Amino acid sequence: MRNLRILSVLFLMSACQIEVVLPLVQIEEDIPVIEGIWTDNSILNEVKISLAKNYTDTTGFKAITNAKVSIRQAGSNVVFPFAYNSNSRTYKAVNGNATAKVGETYELVVDWNENSFYAKGLMLEPPILDSLTYQFEEERPFRDEGYYIKAFGRIPFEENNYYRIQIIANDTLKNDPGDYLLFDDTFGFTFFENGLELGYAFEPGDRVRLILYRMTVEPYNYLNQLLGLLFSDGGLFSPPPQNPDTNIQVVKGETEVLGYFLVSPILTEFIEISK
Amino acid sequence: MKSIFAVIILIISPISCLMAQQATFLNGQVVDVTSSESLPGANVYWEDEIGTGVVSDLDGFFEIKTGKFPRSLVISFIGFEKSIRVINQKDLEKSQKFFLNPNQMSLEEIIIQERRPDEQVRNLETGKATMPIATIKNIPALFGEVDLFRSLQLLPGVQTAGEGTGGLFVRGGSADQNLVQIDGAPVYNASHFFGFFSVFNPDALEKVDLYKGNMPASFGGRLSSVIDVSLREGNNKQIRGEGGIGTISSRFTMDGPLFSEKSTFALSARRTYADVFLALASDPNIRENRLNFHDLSAKFAFRIGEKDKLTFSTYQGSDFLGLESSFGLGWSNFVNSLKWNRTISKDFYFDLDAYHSIYDYKIEFDDPENGFEWKNKLSETGLKAQWSWLRGENLQTYWGVHSQLYYFAPIALIPAPESNIQQLDTNPKNGILNSVFAGMTYEISPRLSTEAGLRWSIFNQIGNGVDYTYEGGIPGPEIAITDTTRYSTLENIKFYQGLEPRIAFRYLINEQFSIKTAYNRNFQYVQIASNSSAGLPIDRWILAGTYVPPIRSDQISLGLFHNFDDNKWEFSVETYYKDFQNIIDLRNGASVLFTDNVETELLTGRGWAYGAEFLLRKNQGKTTGWLSYTYSRTWREIAGISEGQKYNPRYDRPHDISLVINHEFSSAWSAGLTFVYTSGQAVSFPVGVYQADRQSVPLYSDFRNEDRFPNYHRVDASVTWRNPNKGRKWRGSWNASIYNLYGRKNPFAYSFENIVNNDINYDSETDGPITSVRPGIIMTYLFTFLPSITYNFEF
Repeated sequence: MRNLRILSVLFLMSACQIEVVLPLVQIEEDIPVIEGIWTDNSILNEVKISLAKNYTDTTGFKAITNAKVSIRQAGSNVVFPFAYNSNSRTYKAVNGNATAKVGETYELVVDWNENSFYAKGLMLEPPILDSLTYQFEEERPFRDEGYYIKAFGRIPFEENNYYRIQIIANDTLKNDPGDYLLFDDTFGFTFFENGLELGYAFEPGDRVRLILYRMTVEPYNYLNQLLGLLFSDGGLFSPPPQNPDTNIQVVKGETEVLGYFLVSPILTEFIEISK
Repeated sequence: MKSIFAVIILIISPISCLMAQQATFLNGQVVDVTSSESLPGANVYWEDEIGTGVVSDLDGFFEIKTGKFPRSLVISFIGFEKSIRVINQKDLEKSQKFFLNPNQMSLEEIIIQERRPDEQVRNLETGKATMPIATIKNIPALFGEVDLFRSLQLLPGVQTAGEGTGGLFVRGGSADQNLVQIDGAPVYNASHFFGFFSVFNPDALEKVDLYKGNMPASFGGRLSSVIDVSLREGNNKQIRGEGGIGTISSRFTMDGPLFSEKSTFALSARRTYADVFLALASDPNIRENRLNFHDLSAKFAFRIGEKDKLTFSTYQGSDFLGLESSFGLGWSNFVNSLKWNRTISKDFYFDLDAYHSIYDYKIEFDDPENGFEWKNKLSETGLKAQWSWLRGENLQTYWGVHSQLYYFAPIALIPAPESNIQQLDTNPKNGILNSVFAGMTYEISPRLSTEAGLRWSIFNQIGNGVDYTYEGGIPGPEIAITDTTRYSTLENIKFYQGLEPRIAFRYLINEQFSIKTAYNRNFQYVQIASNSSAGLPIDRWILAGTYVPPIRSDQISLGLFHNFDDNKWEFSVETYYKDFQNIIDLRNGASVLFTDNVETELLTGRGWAYGAEFLLRKNQGKTTGWLSYTYSRTWREIAGISEGQKYNPRYDRPHDISLVINHEFSSAWSAGLTFVYTSGQAVSFPVGVYQADRQSVPLYSDFRNEDRFPNYHRVDASVTWRNPNKGRKWRGSWNASIYNLYGRKNPFAYSFENIVNNDINYDSETDGPITSVRPGIIMTYLFTFLPSITYNFEF
């Protein structure tokens, strides 16, 4: 838990920090990172492939531009080829209108450098996102004074209850580790039916878009483990760091692969805080 | 002429008498401060007139002629500290009492020699250390807080997980493999402040025994060690007290007779006042935080006739750490133990122990939308009966039974009144562990002795409770549950049993040299499921069950033990090999706090450890202490971790050196010095970085803990000044200590993150726009050059 980590450092009042240099191992081979997003919203559909680099390498992440990428609908002949787009530096579906259909399983296939990678995901039925509302709140514990948005919806499912919410405020995606909002059915969904309050104090004039994903457990676990890694302080009270469990397999070749493949319905709602 | 001479005599004599009548006397009584008994035969003299003096009578009273004032009066008695008090005119107005303390040096010798001087060579025990409380109190301490666990960490074979933490990792075992018990009752979390201090108030302790090698068959339930702590019983003569006021906490202990000489009490209390300092902070973010712990303990002893003794011990302690009154973490121990010791005959004894130990822990989250309180509790109730029979000088036997009832309560997740979180339903876990044990110590020949024992442990996981059946029979996070079986109270769910043989041999090469070897097997039926390196107070303890077999260890050790210089010095070298089966670890991303199916988060494998421990120790004289060196390695091999290959847990630290020195300059001044050096902890550093989900993510090797922290070392020093003995009851002393004398920045943690504008503390709200971002490594270190001062007192 994030607060637990804050607490574990808080009472160490005599703790200090300095920047240091450590002899780190260098990467000896090319390690591809594949991020595949396949949704019912064609704008969001893309596959990003890049290379991992040494930790102290200050050059940008190198994109892999010569991979052969496709997504196919399992159990059918439907294939969506992808091509590299130099503007977005990602692979986009050649058919720009291609989207995922609820109930279908999709397979990501990537061939690169005599290696082949494979992943699959199920397109689930979306939950219900009714509306967004906002109201002004005074300062509260963990909350500054400001306008707080609540998202109302309903999740009627018994299984595959893994969700993510992303917030775009004024055309900027909130994507710091503290902005991740991942939840499952451990604590039920009453909080969503009663209005899930977003933890941001907005101001008049702010334009806010909420994106809701529903996914299967594999990409959810990946994102959860990724978040845990981002919050790890490397200390005694953190778990031993491990790479998130990818749902992408290496079906040919000796290389390892990083990243994840996400198939998800997309629900969006938009609201503007009145001036 | 004769008549004139007679007149002169007649004139002088009255004058002489008159002068004699004008001589003054000081009256007093000499008393033993510990027993209030008078001391007959004590020497009483003026410091500037050593040749003359008086001796106290049978009741300790004396009368001595005085002279000019002020003047120093010396009182001495063999076996007691000399008392020197300045006497003034007003002290003649009434009789004075002079309290003598038993000699400090001889007291320490008595403590160490509970323990014969040659015990290290002669006894059968391998891997056992007795830590005198006086020794613990002389070791320089973090924040001036004398601590039992940090003292034990200075012994060979005992590792620490990191700077300041009190968790013990003994011969390759994790912290939950140590049985920590107070007067026979287990303590499940013996630490305060995340392990920076232990729960033991040193003033409340009588003695501590650490078994890390051969455990007698009367002990069981843990693989790596038994830390057997005995609370101090009160004295049966008079009320006494002692305590201390320190930088972090204050403590007070009082003991004495209860109703008569046949019953005694001892009460101890300790509390930190770190929360007081927080309240004084100018930063409101710090001011609203809470940080406190306390300990309370009591021991009552009753002698019933000549043959029976009854003691009742109780301990209660708790911690609470809170963030801005919105988030809090708390835990508490409540331990009670009742013992009956009966001397059936001069060779036959019976001991009955009954105990109950409760460990509570909780998380509070006061969020307006999603607030909750998460609580968990476990308890152990036990009854142990042991008979001991001494059959002559060569043979001692013992046997007994030990029954333990475990209760692990369901997790209580209580949503706040306005919270949208749903209540969580889990199920309790119960278990009964019955053990039968027997052992003996037999002197086969004057040179060869053996200690052999067998413990048979029989464990049942019982209802009420629930057991799940998984598809394919193997639990996993995504494996479907095909059946849920409910069990009623005491109904058997799962049964385990195991024989635990213990055997040791000692061969005396000569009076100063011996070889010992031992073999132990142990089973452990409770353990912690934790995914942090050092352990957190909210880690879940789990019982052996259908999917969690008990862990088993086998340990063999061999040692050479040598005393020299008339037992003033002890030297030992001890090697061991230990094997673990059914060790658990957690899968990547495991969450154990909110699930009823903990078994789905576990991975099981094996481990092993080996090492050599060298110890050179001096127990007598003005300078005492020890030098220890340990070379040790620890390994784990668990499918699902590190590609199934062997790896080192974090506390694998191959080289470990400890030097502890204490010197008594005089009865008033003493000093202590400690030097520790250990290899860096085994950790995983990133081998690269990649981009995923718009984040820069550190890339780790698939093999765990291939990197090392830098080696750790520091020196601590302390000086103690004791108020000279003036025969008064109140004795005070000041202790000044410095932790980390040369201020080495020993790393506590490394974080790998982007550094903005070359400022590791960059704040986007106050430090302007971003002009540069680069990857960096930030090291967190804790305590450098930390002075502290403590005032200790006794009366």
